Amino acid sequence: MILNRTLAGLLAVSLSVAAIAVATTAAAATVQKDAKQAKSVRPPAIPQLGLLPPVPVPADNPMSAEKVELGKKLFWDGRLSGNGTMGCVSCHFPQLGWGDGGAISRGYPGTKHWRNSQTILNSAYYNKLFWEGSVTSLESQGPSAAEGAVAGNGDRSVMEMRLRFIPEYVAEFKKVFGTEWPRMTQGYQAIAAFQRTIVSDPKKVPFDRYASGDKAALSSSAQRGFALYNGKANCIQCHNGPLASDQKFYSLGVPHSEAFRNEPLAQITFRWEVYQKGVSEKIYRDADIDHGLYYITKNPKDIGKFRTPSLRELKYTAPYMHNGTLATLEDVVHFYNRGGGDAPNKSPLLKALGLSDADVKDLVAFLESLSMDEPLIVKDPKLPDYAVMK
Amino acid sequence: MNTLITARQVIGFAVASLVLSSGGVILPLYAAERSVVLEIAALPQSKPVNKDMAELGRHLFFDVRISGDWSRSCASCHNPAKGWADGEALSQGYTATDYFRNAPSIINARLRERFMWDGRLDGADLGTLVRDMVTEAHFMNADGRLVQERLKQVPEYVEMWQKIFGKSADPYGPRMFNVIAEFVKTIESKNVPFDRFVKGDEGAISAQAKEGMRLFKGKANCMSCHNGATFSDGKFHRLGVPENLDIWNNPLRAITMLRHYSTSGMPNYMNARTDVGSHAITKNERDKGKFFTPTLRELKYTAPYMHNGTLKTLEDVIEFYDRGGGKGSQLKALGLSPEDKKALVAFLLALSGDPVTVEQPKQFDFQLRSFGKN
Repeated sequence: MILNRTLAGLLAVSLSVAAIAVATTAAAATVQKDAKQAKSVRPPAIPQLGLLPPVPVPADNPMSAEKVELGKKLFWDGRLSGNGTMGCVSCHFPQLGWGDGGAISRGYPGTKHWRNSQTILNSAYYNKLFWEGSVTSLESQGPSAAEGAVAGNGDRSVMEMRLRFIPEYVAEFKKVFGTEWPRMTQGYQAIAAFQRTIVSDPKKVPFDRYASGDKAALSSSAQRGFALYNGKANCIQCHNGPLASDQKFYSLGVPHSEAFRNEPLAQITFRWEVYQKGVSEKIYRDADIDHGLYYITKNPKDIGKFRTPSLRELKYTAPYMHNGTLATLEDVVHFYNRGGGDAPNKSPLLKALGLSDADVKDLVAFLESLSMDEPLIVKDPKLPDYAVMK
Repeated sequence: MNTLITARQVIGFAVASLVLSSGGVILPLYAAERSVVLEIAALPQSKPVNKDMAELGRHLFFDVRISGDWSRSCASCHNPAKGWADGEALSQGYTATDYFRNAPSIINARLRERFMWDGRLDGADLGTLVRDMVTEAHFMNADGRLVQERLKQVPEYVEMWQKIFGKSADPYGPRMFNVIAEFVKTIESKNVPFDRFVKGDEGAISAQAKEGMRLFKGKANCMSCHNGATFSDGKFHRLGVPENLDIWNNPLRAITMLRHYSTSGMPNYMNARTDVGSHAITKNERDKGKFFTPTLRELKYTAPYMHNGTLKTLEDVIEFYDRGGGKGSQLKALGLSPEDKKALVAFLLALSGDPVTVEQPKQFDFQLRSFGKN
């Protein structure tokens, strides 16, 4: 009896579920149909360029003036590297747009790096860092650079002990983090906090002034460039949102770096990088191009893909692309105008653009308006000395 | 209780029988406290090495590209012209990373029971010692995988490598270290007066040296620790060697010392102010201030002495022992006369042979490799 009643109840419930399901499917079909129609009329909503929001700050590394000040010193301090000279600043130099000015980064003494040293300007806004997006926070980017064999080549425990023999640092770490002795993880947190202050000042960026209502902030050429950016040149497709980056991965067919062909040191680093990415032996043996995102995902569809960089502060960060093979903004625009290069997995978004010479000039004028009127220079901090410990 | 005593007695018997069966040759270390006849002996016959490995190893030993920033090769701290040590009280270490102990000579390293002053590495595994030197942040601070790619960029090395390991073999971490180790095995004492004497050449050492040997075995009691063919018991002892104040007064050295303690997992490392020796490895309170007994061979070329280089001459060393060592020492005062001391020095010098030299190879340059054929 009880069993029967339960069965009847279940039957009733399942019937009504079926009815809802039918109704839902019908509704979904309608929505999809609407979307299809909408797509044919206007492109999907792309986040427009605009003013950068306040810098995002992770809850476990709150900002404070003291922490930023400490992070600034650590950013400059060569003792946070293997040989005492390769601090963050040596490849992220304020006077060189917080990059190092080379096509491929100089790398640790005795090595050459394999990719372009990216600016740290506005790096606070990325949700993934390095050209293949291998880390997801500034707090984890610092250690990769400071401890990587072709970058800082520092040993974490050595660097930590060095900090402990610098009394001013001991006092500052104690004030900022409350611990008796500095820890490298805290050092990286402080450096990240400092990097969160190295951002474009909207008052100094013509485009930001324009976006805030000052219509005279952009020249008429730059304004035409802006229209091309959003229209015919279709830059907005990937370089969108306030950062001018969708933070996704694309293969563009950027020219290969000749360094891997012509320079023994670059060949060494290239093989070393590939070797430790955990690829198959065949990939290691045959490697002749930088596989980019593939090294993280091991998905053949990701070969040659790199994360879209921001276009802000370009004026100060030549040369361009992940391997620095394009020397000027004109070169970059010409590259896109041709529809990019030739590569497996090349993005279908890249098509020849048919830009005139005047268009190219206008586009470059606009791109430059995304950079501050003057470079963001920070004075070298005075670094405290080692002292004999009591 | 009874069972325990019985067990101890059984072990005692076992040790005793080992002593008997070994018939007066070098005895197991743990038997030393029994009524064991300690001896000193000539170096055993060299063991054959793989000549091709040793030859490649010779090249790599002198190649600065084995270090992170190309600033030093193995030979920087184990310099043939300085008895395969560096002649400094404290070893230089990596750039911006001064070390806190004396660089020992690597002559006869193949016979050592343990490596490093605190004995943290097994003497049977020379390849691991080389790896430690190459990859440790305070020595050469190189990424081993990067070094193997560097070797691959030198065609002469690849050729030598493939002669050893086969036609398609690549330079590869562990083998790379073993190759250098094979070379190190060839660095041995040559034509040592004491060894000639042991083998029957009565005139190989002076009468004064013979008197020194008598003291060495007797009154001066050197042989209780410096015994066997290596003149080392392979153990750890506390002698109270004076602290080298340069360690604590030079933060670069103090950093390296405390960092070594921290990575060794030693408790309370931030409060260490003196070199604790093998305690950092064993974590045993009784091992504080104990260091590995070094060989006495080739002393002529390897001043200054002790784990921290604080004793400059052999005379200083003998004075130190004559006083019964320093603070906390396990030694007793010896009461040696000035003649005794001279005789001892004469004997110690008879333990050094001809200078051990090798030809320093020319460093081959990097060459381009065909792209896409890695």
